[in-house]
Formats: sequence, C-alpha cells, structure tokens
Amino acid sequence: MLDYVGLEADLDSEERMVRDTAREFVEKEFKPIVGEHYIDGTFPTELIPKLGELGFYAPNLDGYGLPGLSETAYGLLMQELEAGDSGLRSMASVQGALVMYPIYAYGSDEQKEQWLPEMGTGETIGCFGLTEPEHGSNPSAMETYATKAGNEYVLNGSKTWITNSPIADVAVVWARDRSAENTPVRGFLVETDRDGVSTNKIDEKLSLRASITGEIGLQNVHIPKENMLPGVSGMKGPLSCLTQARFGIAWGAVGAARDCFETAREYATDREQFGGPIARFQLQQEKLAEMATQITTAQLLAYRLSELKERGEMTPQHVSMAKRNNVRMARDQSRIAREMLGGNGITADYSPMRHMANLETVYTYEGTHDIHTLVLGQDLTGIAAFE
Amino acid sequence: MMKVLVTVKEVAEVEEDFVLDGTRIDDRFLEYDLNEWDDYAIETAVQLAEAGDDVEVVSATIGPERCEETIRMALAKGVDRGIRVWDDTLASVDLLDVNAKTEIFNAIIAEEEPDLILTGVQAHDDSFGATGVSVADAAGYEWAAVVNALDLDADAGVAHVRRELEGGVEELTDVELPAVLTIQTGINEPRYASLRGIRMAQRKEIAQQTLDDLGLDEGAVESQITLTDMYEPESESDVELFEGDADAAAASLASVLREKGVGAQ
Repeated sequence: MLDYVGLEADLDSEERMVRDTAREFVEKEFKPIVGEHYIDGTFPTELIPKLGELGFYAPNLDGYGLPGLSETAYGLLMQELEAGDSGLRSMASVQGALVMYPIYAYGSDEQKEQWLPEMGTGETIGCFGLTEPEHGSNPSAMETYATKAGNEYVLNGSKTWITNSPIADVAVVWARDRSAENTPVRGFLVETDRDGVSTNKIDEKLSLRASITGEIGLQNVHIPKENMLPGVSGMKGPLSCLTQARFGIAWGAVGAARDCFETAREYATDREQFGGPIARFQLQQEKLAEMATQITTAQLLAYRLSELKERGEMTPQHVSMAKRNNVRMARDQSRIAREMLGGNGITADYSPMRHMANLETVYTYEGTHDIHTLVLGQDLTGIAAFE
Repeated sequence: MMKVLVTVKEVAEVEEDFVLDGTRIDDRFLEYDLNEWDDYAIETAVQLAEAGDDVEVVSATIGPERCEETIRMALAKGVDRGIRVWDDTLASVDLLDVNAKTEIFNAIIAEEEPDLILTGVQAHDDSFGATGVSVADAAGYEWAAVVNALDLDADAGVAHVRRELEGGVEELTDVELPAVLTIQTGINEPRYASLRGIRMAQRKEIAQQTLDDLGLDEGAVESQITLTDMYEPESESDVELFEGDADAAAASLASVLREKGVGAQ
C-alpha cells in the first residue's frame, strides 16, 4: 500500500501489528466476497462476531474487555477496513464510535456492564438514531421526544438513514426530553424488541450497498428510566459521538483511496496497449502522481489528527477539516482510478467504482461536505453561516 | 504442567519482479513474514494450551531484531513467552544450515526441557525441511514428521498423530513424549491475532540470548554448506487456450487429440 513518505515506518510495533492483522483479515476474508455482497445489496453478517473476536469494535476504549489501543492504531484499523469497503468500516464505526462510545462516555455503571462487553464481542449489535426524515444537517430541530411517566420514559418519533437498524439489538436514540426544562436532547438506550419499535430496511440504495441501512420508528415505546444515558444533556451528546466517528472516517477515506490507487497502478503496469503497458504514457503517469500526492497529504492530516487526539488537543473543527478534505480526496481520486481501468473499471471485479459509489455516501453522511465547510468558516471568521 | 516449545522462523517473501545480486536477492524486493508452516505449529500449540489445564507455550526463533515482530505476533496469538537468539557471530554467518540450527535449538531444549516441540515441516524461503527431525535426533526425543492431525494424550505421555506420506498415503502413529512433531499446513486453521491479544503481547517477555548465553561458540554455526549460485531457470511453456463455450472448446480439443493420434480409428 502506498506510503510515500514512510509514515508507517514510524509506527510502534503494536500499531504495525494492528495494521497487519486488519490488512490480512480484509485481504483474505473480506475482499474475496465484497463484490457479490455489493451487487446483492447485503452485508456479510457472519463476519460481525468475527470482527468482535478480533477486537475491531471500539479498540481505542479501555476496560470491559476492550484493548485500549492508541488513537493511531484505531485510525489504522479504520483505514484498513475501508480499504475493503466503506460498508465494512461503517459497521465498525457505528458499533464502536456511535454506540459503544456514548455508553462508555455517558452511561451509568450498570449500562456499561450490561452493554459494552457483549457489544465488544459483536454478540450484541447497536445502532445510532439521530437523523430524522425532516432533519438532517440540523439535528437540533429533531422532533423525536420522550416524556417521563412514573419510572419510565415514553418515546415517539422516527429516525432514518440508520446504519444497521434492521439487525440491531439496541439503538442509541437521541430525543428531546419534554419532561425536563428547555426540552434538552438526551440519549436513550432502546432495545429494538420493545413494543412500538419498528426498524424498516431501506432498499435500492445505489451507494454503500454492502451495508445495512434502515429507519427506526418509535410509537409510544416504554423504556425504564434507567435506560437514559445519565452523563450528557444537549447536542454535545450526539455531536461528540460524531466527532469520534468522523475521526475514523478521515482515516478510512485514505484506506479507500489507497486501495483505488494500488488497483490503478497495478492495472496500468499490467495493461498493454499500443505495444506496451499504459503506465508508460504521460497521461496515466500524471494521474498516478496526482493520486499519490493527494493520498499522501490526506494521510499526513490523519496522522496529525491522531497526535492531537492522543494528547487531548483535537477539536471538532480539526475533525471537520480532516473529514472534509480526506473524503473529498478519496471521492475524486476513486473516480480517476476507475477511469484508468477503462471498461473493466465499471465492473464489480475491481474495487474503484465500488469505492467511488460508496464515497458519495461518505461525502454527505456524518456531516455533509458543505456543513463541514461552514463549521470551518465559522471557526475561521467567528460568524456562523447556518444560524 | 506441560511445556510446548514452538520453533518459528521469519522468512523472506520475494516480490513478483526482483533482481538477483550475486547469490542474493536484493533487500528491496524482500518482505518478511512468519513462515507459513510455523503459523500452523503455533495454532496447534495454542489449541493445546486452551484445551489443557496447565500448559505453557514458549516460542523460539533465530534472527535479528526485526524478527521480534514475528515472534510477537505469535505471542499475540496466545504463546506465553518468546526466546530470540542472535549476536554478532550469527549476524556474520551467510548461511545458517540445519546443523547450526540444531545446535542452537538443542541448547534451548536443554534449558527449557519441553515435553513437546512443534516445528513447521519446512521453511518457505530456503525450503530446508530437516531442522525438526535433526533437532529430535540431537536432543534424544522421539519424532514424527509431516503431521497433519494430532490427538495428544498428555497423561499417558503419547501423541497419536497422522502423517502425510508420499502419494496420498497417510500413516497413523503413536509417538511417546518428549517428542518433536513437524507440522504440516492444513492441520488446523490458524487464527488472526486479536487486538486484545496484540495488546497483551506487548507485555509478554521475549528473552534475547546469544550463542555465549547458550554455551555455544562460533564453531557451532560453521556451515558445511555454501551457496554457490543463484539463477532464474529458463522456463518454457507451450500452451494452447481453447476459446468459446463448452461445445466449441470440446470440438477444438477433439481436433487437437485427433491430430496427436488419440482415438485415431
């Protein structure tokens, strides 16, 4: 895999081993089957416990049987998973950063004991309910609400574009607490087998096909009041989870782009036209040179972001910049890679077009590209364009 | 308490296109990885440890610091501790032959006194396949080579093994412990190291030993074998690919067979 300025040479032995294990797993267990799953619009669910056995869910958290790896090791894992498919990385992102993280950071001891060990092994699958049919980029306008009734909360509302909701055992649902002053956004752990919960699957996607997506419908769903996450109130709750997940996306996008690059490079050196490999043409060399440069600069940003995160100096705006830049980079470069493969590039036999289609989703999920632009604009000028 | 020693080797994997530099392949074209057969030996040992009450698995290798990663991957998969033998004398040896490895491992065996030693059948890079049996002979252990199934009865001190022989023949043998078994690929499905295992492996011991520590001198690693030449053999291929569907391909094959005089009546 392209590592033009040798960043991986400076990894410590533990980080290199994480990279190697993840890479080998993706090469041997995932890449051979992803094309078919993509075409069928399915996720290889048999891999879910296997990913857990390997410790791929929230490995940067500590305790509860979780390994507590460095942020760089976590980033490398996301990078290797997304070199397989954005759907694979999304599986790990959602389970780890969007479900286990809020339980870990804001949950009660009982919630942590109950959920984290079995989510770490993949026995229990979680999903994250924030986006609503009418509220995407502006989640604070959410309509889903909870009202307290004795020892219970009653939830009503609907969430959509929820990765893994159709197969999830539990959902972290973000809802306005109408029983509290100023109706703050609170997080609730909702078991999906409760009465009034529906998790319809969204079919016929043209992107991220090897990933399960659905809705969460909540109709008078009664949950014990202990299911509320006690440690956070307000939009900080969901947004801090998204910061964790977007950190992984900034790394993951580099992985997808590297897979496209290596596929294109190999193709260009093997494919012969006009009596020799097409890699000898300046037009193709320019594409590879540009792709390698873009990947390398995105990689640098990801590494720096990890350092900042490790020392507790990473801001959400840093993550916005990295997610924005790296996903755009991967989206653009996957298209160039596809182009270099000519007609072969439009088949599922090669990864670039699959990555390219996936990255359309990644470009607008977890904060659209444009919203991240405005986050940066606000940070740089002090003026919020979206308020 | 039972102790299992697994000898492992880091092997060089050559890239598809490479350049020969005298009797060496230039380092630029090499990547290093755990010998494939040894991965199966590690899995065998770790499974014994998981099945048994009190089993210690120790892994030993000969090689420079770079090999620590390979041995640490074994630790991440469940091996308890590692031993790595290296010093300047070993670094200066061009070709470490079977006798040299036998001397070194024999010294480790004398110190560790394992009940069972597992090695890979052969090394992927130099394709030596004698170290396991040679070590058994030197240490006075029983042995079985090319083992593709193992049922260990630790209480009785017997390993019931199946060996893969030439021509698809298999042999069932009972080997008394202590013994050396050389493990064939396919005996099990080697696991991936989990991230939890990788984390724990950072805290496991890899003891570095020199020839001196093992009571050996440079005489032990003098080789009776010298590498005289390396070359890429001329390859010749004569292939005819039949295009088209089954009918067309069958017709083409039939005409070729007829031309060659097969079924000419």
